[in-house]
Amino acid sequence: MASVRAVKKAVTIAPTVRTLSSGVPVAPLLNLAARDLSAEHGHGSAARSDAPARFASGVSRNSPIGIVSKTFANAPTTTHYTPRLIHTSAVVKDASDVPDFSPYRADNTSNNRAFSYFMVGSLGLLSASVAKSTVTEFLKTMSASADVLALAKVEVELGNIPEGKNVIIKWRGKPVFIRHRTQAEVEEARTSEWKAFRDPQSDEERTKKPEWLVMLGVCTHLGCVPIGEAGDYGGWFCPCHGSHYDISGRIRKGPAPLNLEVPAYEFNELEGKLVIG
Amino acid sequence: MAFANTVYNAFFRRNSVYVSTIFAGAFAFGIGFDVAVTTFYDRWNAGKQWQDIRHKYVEQE
Amino acid sequence: MLSRLSAAGLKPAALLRSVKNSNIASASRSSARFASGSASAGAAESAFYSRTALVSASLLTAGSIAWYTHLFGSLPFIGEVHASHLSDEGLHPTAYPWPHNGLLDTFDHASIRRGYQVYREVCAACHSLDRIAWRNLVGVSHTADEARALAEEVEYEDGPNDQGEMFQRPGKLADYMPRPYPNEEAARAGNAGAMPPDLSLIIKARHGGADYVFSLLTGYIDPPAGVEIREGMNYNPYFPGGAISMARVLFDGLVEYDDGTPATTSQMAKDVVTFLNWAAEPEHDERKKYGIKAVILFSTLWAISIYVKRYKWAPLKNRKIFYNPPGNKLH
Repeated sequence: MASVRAVKKAVTIAPTVRTLSSGVPVAPLLNLAARDLSAEHGHGSAARSDAPARFASGVSRNSPIGIVSKTFANAPTTTHYTPRLIHTSAVVKDASDVPDFSPYRADNTSNNRAFSYFMVGSLGLLSASVAKSTVTEFLKTMSASADVLALAKVEVELGNIPEGKNVIIKWRGKPVFIRHRTQAEVEEARTSEWKAFRDPQSDEERTKKPEWLVMLGVCTHLGCVPIGEAGDYGGWFCPCHGSHYDISGRIRKGPAPLNLEVPAYEFNELEGKLVIG
Repeated sequence: MAFANTVYNAFFRRNSVYVSTIFAGAFAFGIGFDVAVTTFYDRWNAGKQWQDIRHKYVEQE
Repeated sequence: MLSRLSAAGLKPAALLRSVKNSNIASASRSSARFASGSASAGAAESAFYSRTALVSASLLTAGSIAWYTHLFGSLPFIGEVHASHLSDEGLHPTAYPWPHNGLLDTFDHASIRRGYQVYREVCAACHSLDRIAWRNLVGVSHTADEARALAEEVEYEDGPNDQGEMFQRPGKLADYMPRPYPNEEAARAGNAGAMPPDLSLIIKARHGGADYVFSLLTGYIDPPAGVEIREGMNYNPYFPGGAISMARVLFDGLVEYDDGTPATTSQMAKDVVTFLNWAAEPEHDERKKYGIKAVILFSTLWAISIYVKRYKWAPLKNRKIFYNPPGNKLH
């Protein structure tokens, strides 16, 4: 603490030289009434930027005691004041520019301009690229995960299904009917007057190969599972509310509004397999 | 100087051209950068990845 | 700094002093400030050395030691003696130069394939690999056909069928690796009470990772003098505590690699550890590729943003406002 005080004393100059007997400090060499000339914009008598004011200092030769160099620490107060109005006179350029900005000025502005635009453009380009990747990667997280996709397809060995037989397999939690239709059934399905049905669809639209009928085993009425080889039309019959489907899975009678839905499937000819999904 | 002015007049003068250049460039850059990084990565890890040893097992089938 | 602090902090004292000197209120403000400044330094000093400060500092010290002791159960800065021995922590594994160690390095997939063979023929007798499905092998160590053939060798229970009964069917790509034991109790019963851990995440789950598992597999030695190992246990210095239920399983020539690699103990250990490392981090290769991209892109973006920031701020920061007085003559 003492050392701090000593340091403080050493660097602080006391503003007063002495104190009057009344206790008031006096500073005879400081003119406390002096004001910064530029502070009030006293243009009328302000100093020129390029030369000191004549009254501030100088050498007088015509003094009775010879040549005298004088310097006034206290500038005399302004005796006359001329307000400066907004004027349009041209700035005199006789004085050199202080401060001098020429080291800061580019010698070639068009290069600089192109470069600045290029850099800002590059920032935009990279940001756009990164933003695009971010958004697509985020959207990818919303799609089905790999374990779900792995279960999305089901393969069925077609060689195991004899003609005229139904097979029911599970696909994505729903039953799928696969029927190996006989020639007579195909003909029956193809020759019927399908345009007059409730949900008109031709058999060609519903099958990829005439002998294989693949469809979701969910009644379009309220979601029961219809029974195969039953009903008035030799196709499927829903036991819940009595919907009759024909051998092409089309609704013929009962409350169901639509034909049995056909899922996406394809045949793998090489291995004799049906791939659903 | 001449090159800078050519580039400026070609891409930067009109904002519509500038912005479309940026977006088209971002698209091209995305593909090009992907290819470049993948090429580098495959070269760096040559012989280690599945694509490098896959041929041994596919031919057997 | 200190004197400034005390001047600010002890304003009331300064105020008091200036009131006392009210007979020189006409003095300029700066001199009054100066006089009070030195006075406040004295006040701060006396406050610092005061009895109150002494008492409160002692209370603070005693309180924080008590709080620490209550929280951590021992006195601070005093060494403790533990009843444990270094061997209880297990020997620190050597750092091995794995092919996938580097920032840009992928797994050695030929090694993953061999490692799968070691897992299947050796480890799978006791250890499950629950989180890996057959489809995960596709495009990593096996072709789709090979993986399908491997899956079909295993029977899975599925169902229920039309009659509501469960049935057995050959495995599909979507099935997960079969477990050697149906449940934990069976696993414990088959291994004298010690459960073989699932290996899906074992590399991540053990301190030391791949180095540790490799060291463990190859580190079986006879117990040193003075160390007693119970019947049915084995000594392995890398295993915390030293006594491990798993016996050494990898011996030279145990498996026959289909690519002709000599099946030494360390080769098999390296391959199976690489396989298990892949099982723990299947995203590893892709992750490192994304890492390269992200580092390049974000560092470039950072550099350009610095440039653009400077570009925008340069006129503001370098701006000089200067007063250019008109020449006297022109007025």
